[in-house]
Amino acid sequence: MSKELIRLRDCVMSYGDEVVLDHINLYINDKEFLTLLGPSGCGKTTTLRIIGGFLSPTAGDVFFDGVRMNDIPPHKRAVNTVFQRYALFPHLNVFENVAFGLRIPKADRDGRKVKLPEREIHQRVMEMLEVVNLKGFEKRPVSALSGGQQQRVAIARALVNRPKVLLLDEPLGALDMRLRKDMQIELKRIQQEMEITFIYVTHDQEEALAMSDTVVVMDGGRIQQIGTPEDIYNEPKNAFVADFIGESNIIDGIMRADGVVEIFNRRFQCLDKGFEKDEPVDVVIRPEDVDIVDEAAGQLRGTVTAVTFKGMQYDTIVDFYGFKWLIQTTDYCPVDSRIGIKIDPDGIHVMKKSQYSGMFGDYSSYSEEYEELDVAEPEDGEEDGSREGGYEE
Amino acid sequence: MKRSNHVGSRLFIGLVFLFLYLPIFLLIIFSFNAGDSSAVWKGFSLDWYAALFQNRLIMESLYTTLLVSLLATAIATAAGTFAAIGLYSLSKRRRDALLVVNDIPMMNADIVTGVSLCLFFVAFFQGWGAFAQWFNGVQDVVELPVRLTLGFGTMLLAHIAFNIPYVILNVAPKLRQMDKNLVDAAQDLGCTWMQAFWKVILPEIKPGIVSGALIAFTMSIDDFVISYFTAGSSTSTLAMRIYSMTKKRITPEVNAVSTLLFLSVLALLVLNNVREVRQQRRAERQEIREPSFFERLSMRFSQPALRWARRGAAAALACGFIVAVALLTGATYSQPVVNVCSWGEYIDEDLITQFEDQTGIRVNYQTAESNEALYSLLKSGGADYDVIVPSDYMISQLIEEGMLEELDYSQIPNFELIDPRFRGLPYDPENKYTVPYSWGTLGLIYNANMVDEEPDSWGALYDSQYAGSVLLINNSRDALGAALLHLGYSVNTTDEAQIREAFELIAGASRRGVFQGKVMDQVFQKMEGGNAAIATYYAGDYLSMLDNQADGVDLRYVIPEEGANWFVDAMCVLKGAPHYDNALAWINFIASTDANLANMDYIWYASPNTQALEEYPAYYEELYGEELDPELYEIMAAPPEVLERCEMYLALPPATRALYNSLWIELGI
Repeated sequence: MSKELIRLRDCVMSYGDEVVLDHINLYINDKEFLTLLGPSGCGKTTTLRIIGGFLSPTAGDVFFDGVRMNDIPPHKRAVNTVFQRYALFPHLNVFENVAFGLRIPKADRDGRKVKLPEREIHQRVMEMLEVVNLKGFEKRPVSALSGGQQQRVAIARALVNRPKVLLLDEPLGALDMRLRKDMQIELKRIQQEMEITFIYVTHDQEEALAMSDTVVVMDGGRIQQIGTPEDIYNEPKNAFVADFIGESNIIDGIMRADGVVEIFNRRFQCLDKGFEKDEPVDVVIRPEDVDIVDEAAGQLRGTVTAVTFKGMQYDTIVDFYGFKWLIQTTDYCPVDSRIGIKIDPDGIHVMKKSQYSGMFGDYSSYSEEYEELDVAEPEDGEEDGSREGGYEE
Repeated sequence: MKRSNHVGSRLFIGLVFLFLYLPIFLLIIFSFNAGDSSAVWKGFSLDWYAALFQNRLIMESLYTTLLVSLLATAIATAAGTFAAIGLYSLSKRRRDALLVVNDIPMMNADIVTGVSLCLFFVAFFQGWGAFAQWFNGVQDVVELPVRLTLGFGTMLLAHIAFNIPYVILNVAPKLRQMDKNLVDAAQDLGCTWMQAFWKVILPEIKPGIVSGALIAFTMSIDDFVISYFTAGSSTSTLAMRIYSMTKKRITPEVNAVSTLLFLSVLALLVLNNVREVRQQRRAERQEIREPSFFERLSMRFSQPALRWARRGAAAALACGFIVAVALLTGATYSQPVVNVCSWGEYIDEDLITQFEDQTGIRVNYQTAESNEALYSLLKSGGADYDVIVPSDYMISQLIEEGMLEELDYSQIPNFELIDPRFRGLPYDPENKYTVPYSWGTLGLIYNANMVDEEPDSWGALYDSQYAGSVLLINNSRDALGAALLHLGYSVNTTDEAQIREAFELIAGASRRGVFQGKVMDQVFQKMEGGNAAIATYYAGDYLSMLDNQADGVDLRYVIPEEGANWFVDAMCVLKGAPHYDNALAWINFIASTDANLANMDYIWYASPNTQALEEYPAYYEELYGEELDPELYEIMAAPPEVLERCEMYLALPPATRALYNSLWIELGI
């Protein structure tokens, strides 16, 4: 990751009393695949629209290559966007959709408006259709394409302009699961092939982890954590990140000394240091980092309350002193059996207390939560979009 | 049970459609009638259509209608489209509120829209006049016109104003359907907002724009009321012209022009519906449209050639509009004109053409509903007529209020031809303001086959034996005048007790159900068809009814023994008339013997011209090859001894006028 391309400095976005973005500071490097990840209304789409030029931040600055861009309209930015529902032009066919940007006269170095010759347009469009595997579709009306094909047209239409940065606003949201997985790989391939920066907005943590060089986790208009997918997963900064990325048991603990944390009045070895003595902390334990052992050999002892077969593993819910943990193991333990558990020091992650402490990590209502996630997620972006609802920048 | 329901509902639907369309079918059928009746079929003919196309006034109003509709549609479509787009950039709450506001003018009564626009324009003109006067006073580089009047321009503005909501209404749903990200996407791909509008928004909402434009055009062509209030004294649309042609009875010429209007509006609506259905089908099948003829044509040209062709077409269209407007306004401004306001079917229209040919002065001829309507029109400042033809009592009121200009009689040599009996009458004692146009009496008209004994008293109007078959004239002065005469009072009394007594006479008869209704122009159809027995109306109109009475109807006219009202309508020039000299030329022309003879023959009202009065029986004989019945001529031009018994209306003091008004409103019916 080489040179810095985009920087947001203290960006604030508010509508009346409602603060949508709260002092966002972020830089994006050239050729980076960066993902803005968070739940509905976290401000990720707003951030993307500020970068795209569709919104001006209420306060703060946006820099491209060190130049302040706050008031530059979208058509003058070296940025192109793939919109959530593709926003293909229904009255144009595939070829003309892709050629749309090329047909707009652009100012050359002397400021004169120049049109590309028809031959070059044709060549570039056909090249691009090849990149997105849509050769032979150029005469089709876009309404006759499947979701995945429309998606490819949208990507080709943006990339044909050779932007420095491609913004993708939940581009896979409308596709089904299989197609989604394929397109993830496809997108990553295109990004590497074209060697440009992708800024990707999603609420799907798996997607974010699979594709990104850098993940920016957002919630409530604030950045919660920036890091590589591994950092984010392994060293979540607070309970929100820990819960949002993957599954986590988040338990109240007290740091008794460097490398020693106390949970349920038992001391555990861990790798975390630098906390004050006796500081209350949040402790994250990933479900797959827990080993089930005999009751007698366990560091903690509990009762199994539910077991779900998930193919690769069993999701086992265990009650420890009224707090329910999720444990993922290949061992089957029947409901109501007494078990013990062991956790290695590197399976324990200690976080400072935050506003999110106590909100997540208990699996008492595990199965309902699963269903809620399924229902709730597709709405994302709607909220962000409807608020401005305008045609002007 | 179910089955009979089914039949019943079909029958019901059939009846509804019959009710809706039968009148229109009748109208269309009788436009091909060889005779001049709208009820009796005399064979097929296209004569009325031929007459239509030769009628200059109708053709002119058709041209005005098309021009105002096209211009208003073009401008309203552009404005409405952008307004709709603007609405969609607002928050949902505000947009919905504004869309409701947009609905109000469409649901608002046309009459309210028309009157308010008229008042608005007049108020603006007054403000403008003051400003222009001041502006012309402080500098002499530019001379601003001080006096602005209602005319084509104001009518165009009014049409634009009432068309815009229809365009918005049609464009808004298309915008709602459009993916909002499309505009973002276009801008993201390098378009400015304007480019995005042309390349993306416009193709998306085009169906809405086209149907909005079609509806606006239809509304414009259809409109009568709003045009009526904003067209001023020099412009008439087709609808206004048709209305003025229906004053007495509807000739098949009106059928013909109405048929054409109906068919063209129908064609537009069908066109619009067909388009919408096609679009829906296409949307359902998700198919790509076959390129239209023009698109295929344009594909044959290279891009730049096409662009030039488009520009050329746009330029040609714009030039066409400019030329059309220039022609119209040029015709109005460069050619000398005179604006005349008279009554419906109160002139032989050939006279207008003759006058124009002789003098080169163009006549803008319009009609008013009644003396009172004319008065309020003048008072509102919405008219800038040169010549008006009010009745005696209204003239004295206008003189009293300083609204008339003194006439320069040296420019009206034909005034000498006016019989001395009709000069210096009480409404204009020194004869400084008026030249009489026609005169007549107001008497009783009855159907001899519907009354037992022939009435010779106004009392017949209030007689219970004729319950349900008496027509009360819908004009407070005439109705109360007859009652006052019956009671033995003067028609010009200001004694409140007498007036109230007269009112009680009418109100009592009304309570007893004597009156069939209050009528003005409907009196023709009712009396001619034998639907009413007794009415009060003017002698000239009686003669015209006589000509058209149905079989089994025997209409008679009598001046009751108590006496009657006799009236004079006279030409006057309004104070500050913009075309004073032309107005005098017109008055002089109409006062001539030839013009009086022609008018007498056309409208059946007596002329004040001595020679014309003498020569008319001979003129009639020459024209129709038969002798004029002297009895009828006496009804038309009452002999002096009958006039002796008649009384002319004088202007009433304001308090009495107010009493008349309030009593008239109280009467209801």
